[in-house]
Amino acid sequence: MMSIRGFRRGGVTLPQRMAFSHDPIENAFLPIHAKLTLRAAGSGKEARLLVSEGEELREGQLIARADGKGTTNAHSSIPGIVRRIVRGRSPDGTALNTVVVSLAGSFSISGKRPERYIWKSLNKTDILHLLQEKGVTQVSTGIPLYDLLHGKKDGGPVQLVVNALEMDPYRRVEEAILIHHPQELIDACDILNKILKPESIAIALDAGLQTAYIDALRSHAKDADLKIGIESFKRRYPQDMPQLIERALRDKRGAAGSMLCLEPSTLMALHEAVVSNKAHIEQYVYVGGGAIKEPRIVKARIGTSLGDLFEECGGFKGLPERVVINGPLCGSLAADLDSPIEKTTRSVLALCHEETHSGAEQPCVRCGACVKACPESLKPYLLYKLLIAGRANEAYDLGLARCTSCAACAYACWSRLPLVQLFDRHKAQGQNHAQ
Amino acid sequence: MRNEDHAVDAHYPHIHDWRSATKVSWICSLCLAPVIIWSVALYGLSAALVWLASIGSALISQLLVDAAFKRFTVVNGSFLLTGILVATTMPPTIAPFIPAASSAFAILIVKGFFGGNGKNWMNPALAGAAFAYVNWPAAMRDFVLPRALSGVDGLSAVTPLTLARDIGVSGQTRVMEALRQSGYPLSALDSSLTGFLNDAIFLPLGARLPEGYMDIALGLKPGTLGESALLVLLAGSIVLISLKLIKLEIPLAMIAGFALLARIFGTGLPGEELFRGDVLYALGSGGFLLAAFFMATDPVSSPVDRSIAALYGLAIGVLCYAFRRWGSYPEGVCFAVLIMNVISPTLERRLEPLLRPRAERTAA
Repeated sequence: MMSIRGFRRGGVTLPQRMAFSHDPIENAFLPIHAKLTLRAAGSGKEARLLVSEGEELREGQLIARADGKGTTNAHSSIPGIVRRIVRGRSPDGTALNTVVVSLAGSFSISGKRPERYIWKSLNKTDILHLLQEKGVTQVSTGIPLYDLLHGKKDGGPVQLVVNALEMDPYRRVEEAILIHHPQELIDACDILNKILKPESIAIALDAGLQTAYIDALRSHAKDADLKIGIESFKRRYPQDMPQLIERALRDKRGAAGSMLCLEPSTLMALHEAVVSNKAHIEQYVYVGGGAIKEPRIVKARIGTSLGDLFEECGGFKGLPERVVINGPLCGSLAADLDSPIEKTTRSVLALCHEETHSGAEQPCVRCGACVKACPESLKPYLLYKLLIAGRANEAYDLGLARCTSCAACAYACWSRLPLVQLFDRHKAQGQNHAQ
Repeated sequence: MRNEDHAVDAHYPHIHDWRSATKVSWICSLCLAPVIIWSVALYGLSAALVWLASIGSALISQLLVDAAFKRFTVVNGSFLLTGILVATTMPPTIAPFIPAASSAFAILIVKGFFGGNGKNWMNPALAGAAFAYVNWPAAMRDFVLPRALSGVDGLSAVTPLTLARDIGVSGQTRVMEALRQSGYPLSALDSSLTGFLNDAIFLPLGARLPEGYMDIALGLKPGTLGESALLVLLAGSIVLISLKLIKLEIPLAMIAGFALLARIFGTGLPGEELFRGDVLYALGSGGFLLAAFFMATDPVSSPVDRSIAALYGLAIGVLCYAFRRWGSYPEGVCFAVLIMNVISPTLERRLEPLLRPRAERTAA
């Protein structure tokens, strides 16, 4: 009997709004125009552009080179011609340079058998170089994988955790990858094992996952001669945040060293880069929400517009109240349906009012729902009152700095107060102040 | 990663729990709606007038407050809940201007002047009831027998609570028997229901339910509009608890504290022994359960932290017992809750630091 992990206090149990599908993940149609943004979300700098308007591109050709820490190489996700280079907008509305590629020419990757390199003959530096070359990015954060691994390489013991947890009510992308590509995932772990020499490798997954899939993972791990632990977690938001996984695992092992949490989708990109010599030009995206006719997981090319994805999933069946990228709790609103998906886009949701339960802001009635929801045992209603009253110091004394912006409090709030926004604003100010 | 992308005006989270302050006050009102029907069935037109006066005046007062603050909050339904709760504390034949004035006091003075919803410093409905108790004490004690029991409208009577307090030497040490002995009316429905329950359930278990409790549960006795519908009220409270809209700690602690004291010290009959009090009678008579589930649990005027809330409930139970046993109003629960409403902010401020995890306290 395997023990199920969780966190002690707080969290919210979200309604499950996604039917679990055993169907293999399909490739989305290629976009006619791919809009390629030159920086991953979260990084201030842009990669250096290498192409100019009118230039012909192969599928997967390098279009921008990494320029220092925090930037990655960008590749053309489709073969075609550079139509425009514009100041565009990322899905969440931040302005950045965008290369628009129109589909033309022949395919060099699609429809061909994937190449298989004997990666075991490569050494550590080669593999890291390859990851940098192929622009592999951590899907959850947008940090270039090269930066992440390079930093950890010589920095003491590392525990590798494959984070297949997704606690939002819609997305089950990572779990689907776990089910459909166990071999690739284990290979990716093997590759990371070679680079990082981690003290332990663990896969964090939902306690509800069928044991047959876990057995498959175990047998692949055995074939690869890897020691991989399986950790089951209770389904409760925000368990999927790396901090909480780390806390749960630390409680058990008390192990020292840093923990590296990587999602299966990142591992797939890593695997494709190292084994198939393929750039990070595809992304597993869940397209869904109450307003979508046929919600499903697709493997889409970077640069495909949200509208194209919605159309492929049957279009709208109701009026969406809002279109959200990357999860209903911490995600951002889409600027418009023409915005493209990026390396960090994991889900695109068109939500109806029945799902959002949105409402006008009202005065706090002290119901205590936020206190119950906070996984950090904070008192969000009190912090809110203190911040509104301009008593930020007292709010920090009560632990405002511990807030992880998981938005569980604002989800539970009876009065629909913008709790997280206020906390975020003050934390950002606090940081500026400290610097 | 998050900080930067979610600039100042980010809108997340994009989904919310279905519970909202507005929905909760409408659901609470809906849970109390059967009480209105029940009491009107028991007392007829005069009860309907009380409900109408109380709710109507609450609506008008809320509109006045909204006009003064220039915001439209009538839709969030809290005025309705206040109006209903004020009416539940009223005797059925009271002159309609009293509930109207009490509701107006509750919403204009207790809520409106202190900043509207979420800012009231005590439970508005109970404040309204206290207002009526203080201003019209005679009218608030003027009870009648339900039509179903007496056959006529408006036959004056005292509540079992008042009667039990004033019973002199009777030789009986059990409240129900003392009431029977002093000629307190018993409905035919009670006799038959009690007989049936005894035959079917209690006698095989070696127990016997005395007569009189069914009348209390069904409201076939003089009482306020709210306490007449005890069974309906309990059904409503089950809805509130199952939807997780109230803190269960408060009513539980209240009932525990009150029942324990009632068991130990009894109802105050002469010659009563310690530890032989009638808990069922004490809980069932008067507005205690109504206050426990619908009034003391008002989130605005009760503590947020669950353990402090339990203490708050316990204190209300104890105070309520003391007021009922030794105070001049047999209906002491109203003042017990109000006192704890006023104390609760201080209670929270003092106790909260003690409840924080040890590691955090030493760090701070």
